[in-house]
Amino acid sequence: MADPGFSSTKRDPIKSSVGNAAGIRRREHAVTVGKERRESLVRAKRLCRVGISDVEVDVESDMMIDEEQSILESQTSLAVQNLKSALAYQGKGAMQKRVGALQKLRRLLSRSEFPPVESALKAGAVAILAQCLSFGSPDEQLLEAAWCLTNIAAGNPEETKALLPALPLLIAHLGEKSSSPVAEQCAWALGNVAGDDEELRNVLLIQGALIPLARMMLPYRRSTVRTAAWALSNLIKGPNPKAANELICVDGVLDAIVRHLTKADDESATEVAWVVVYLSALSNIATSMLVKSDVLQLLVNRLATSNSLQLMIPVLRSLGNLIAGDSHATYTVLSPGLAVTDNAIQVMIKCLKSEQRVLKKEAAWVLSNIAAGSVEHKQLIYSSEAVPLLLHLLSAAPFDIRKEVAYILGNLCVAPTKGDEKSSLILEHLVSLVEKGCLPGFIDLVRSADIEAARLGLQFIELVLRGMPNGKGPKLVEQEDGIEAMERFQFHENEDLRTMANSLVDKYFGEDYGLDEL
Amino acid sequence: MDVENQNPDSEFPFWKPIPRRFQPDSPFFAIGNLERELLVKQVALELTEEKEQLEDLIQEDVREVFCPIVGCGARLASMEDFENHYNARHTASCSVCFRVYPTSRLLSIHVSEAHDSFFQAKVARGYDMYECLVEGCGLKFKSYKSRHQHLVDKHKFPTSFEFFKKALPSKKHRMKSQRKKPSHSHKEDTSGMMEVENAAIDDLVSAVSKLNTSDSTPSSISFGRRNPKGMTFVPRAVQHGKGSNSDSSVTKR
Repeated sequence: MADPGFSSTKRDPIKSSVGNAAGIRRREHAVTVGKERRESLVRAKRLCRVGISDVEVDVESDMMIDEEQSILESQTSLAVQNLKSALAYQGKGAMQKRVGALQKLRRLLSRSEFPPVESALKAGAVAILAQCLSFGSPDEQLLEAAWCLTNIAAGNPEETKALLPALPLLIAHLGEKSSSPVAEQCAWALGNVAGDDEELRNVLLIQGALIPLARMMLPYRRSTVRTAAWALSNLIKGPNPKAANELICVDGVLDAIVRHLTKADDESATEVAWVVVYLSALSNIATSMLVKSDVLQLLVNRLATSNSLQLMIPVLRSLGNLIAGDSHATYTVLSPGLAVTDNAIQVMIKCLKSEQRVLKKEAAWVLSNIAAGSVEHKQLIYSSEAVPLLLHLLSAAPFDIRKEVAYILGNLCVAPTKGDEKSSLILEHLVSLVEKGCLPGFIDLVRSADIEAARLGLQFIELVLRGMPNGKGPKLVEQEDGIEAMERFQFHENEDLRTMANSLVDKYFGEDYGLDEL
Repeated sequence: MDVENQNPDSEFPFWKPIPRRFQPDSPFFAIGNLERELLVKQVALELTEEKEQLEDLIQEDVREVFCPIVGCGARLASMEDFENHYNARHTASCSVCFRVYPTSRLLSIHVSEAHDSFFQAKVARGYDMYECLVEGCGLKFKSYKSRHQHLVDKHKFPTSFEFFKKALPSKKHRMKSQRKKPSHSHKEDTSGMMEVENAAIDDLVSAVSKLNTSDSTPSSISFGRRNPKGMTFVPRAVQHGKGSNSDSSVTKR
């Protein structure tokens, strides 16, 4: 959410050299705080450093010297005291005094990677800031107060819970009568509050944060949409599906999603796509509605035209969730023969070719679900350029990707089953894939320590043993040290795997095996 | 993949192509979630160089693996580490019949029980020779069957578990092709007798029990030297206990 381009134009030339040294010191300080840093980086919270983008704010009128954290903390306590007295003051110039005091506090909370949340809370910042949010206060005051709260809310869940008194006011200022920057800053604060704790999310939902935030996604103003969508994604992420179910039913939301996925800039589309991720993962109603609108097509298009990893991650995952969640997606929208289906497969191939691990992994997952569709779907994938790529990934990629690829290849070889019927093989695919050398990759999975992967490998070996024509299966498996791999399970702690492996060995490599050849 | 129960004789869960769905907080999505947060903060904090280190550090926990071999439970940093660990610790192979065991202790138990006529002789005389397979238990039994029963009753082994499994075909192949080599001049009959898999254990015991088991007289059986590492029969007077013969036959891959 920060905009470094914006801040550099505002910086004084003298300060920029100081700022650089400060930056280095900041980084060193941060590296030594290893674990804390990792945790803070991984949090779904975002610090507000330079405010809402098109608002003129005095960002750096003080010297931006990097302080020791302890000095920062003590200055923060002082700033809170200062604010308290400014609020008490009723005389001439009271408003400027208040805003000045707020700005001072806000700057202290916006500098470091670890804002002095603890001291701010100890000094009683929340109550004061809530006071500053009272109705009728001037916009500048509301903005600065919400900004302070935004960064205070970026701490750990325990600290964030201290913001409870301020929440109703933050929610109130989301209303359509508020000025856009104020509403947006409040949305940002609420996004941080919702970020990492389910309890806080529930509080916000009960206090009615969902609908006003949803409305903020509707208008066109770019930064508003972006911030509101991000805050919403944090609010509905569950695991309780209630919020997701409610959101899709809010008037205009589905249209807004479609509109933004079609037209919006990458950054806004990214945040909207994350909303779709959670809607499609948690809400069956939403999944069904999204599939019936043009969303699948839009997602495929975005993946085709974009190279921004930020955008591709949620778009790919949304596609994955929709396809996994609604068979209508695979059988009707992505029907074999339609252009959108070809494009979808192409786009998955693009992701498989990418350097990015997450794209490869999740694209393979999506393909595996398409490959779990009709025979025509399997033929479509099989005849695309996916196969050589998949075979390569099966032998060379990191483990989690290999596992997903295994699902694809296996799904290509087995026809869709109806109920409890025994699965029938698609021999053409099985024979061809085995001839192209996929068996060692599966046997490697059998050898791995991962139960799911081992199971997968054994199931594929069974297909080979059962299905390869002229009884060639057992010999092929033996050649790739498959028997040795299956023998490992004799002393394996998992009983299912033991039984599976033993039953295969007993059935296909019994006493009579190989006798006729000698 | 669902378990199918259509075949009464086989419980194998055949491959069933079904779509897989994940909850948003599933570990499956962890990498993507991490990437999202790091990418956003990257801009603000000039993280670029560190970013990869951070990603690796955080993902390392996810890849940690515990060895699934019964009684081992070793903690390993990654899948590759597991493979190395397995090859180092769990592939003790018998040089006589090529069966593989996950620990050297089990291998040595196997060798005594399957390739040591001295062992069989003691069994025939009623000693408790069949050790419990679970390390630390210490109990011994008079017969393979009673030991098996103990494993099932006390240690919850599956009834289908067979410590002494029939030899697998790849091994059969190797052994048969070995026998055909003209350069080795060993007695086919004795090697046949030594090949325990073809004879019921009872037969062997009764055959051995017909031997003169007095202390000073060595058995007339000589074990065929199928390969240079095969066992040589050592007169009882020279043996230091049932485990001694097994040393010469233990190989690790």
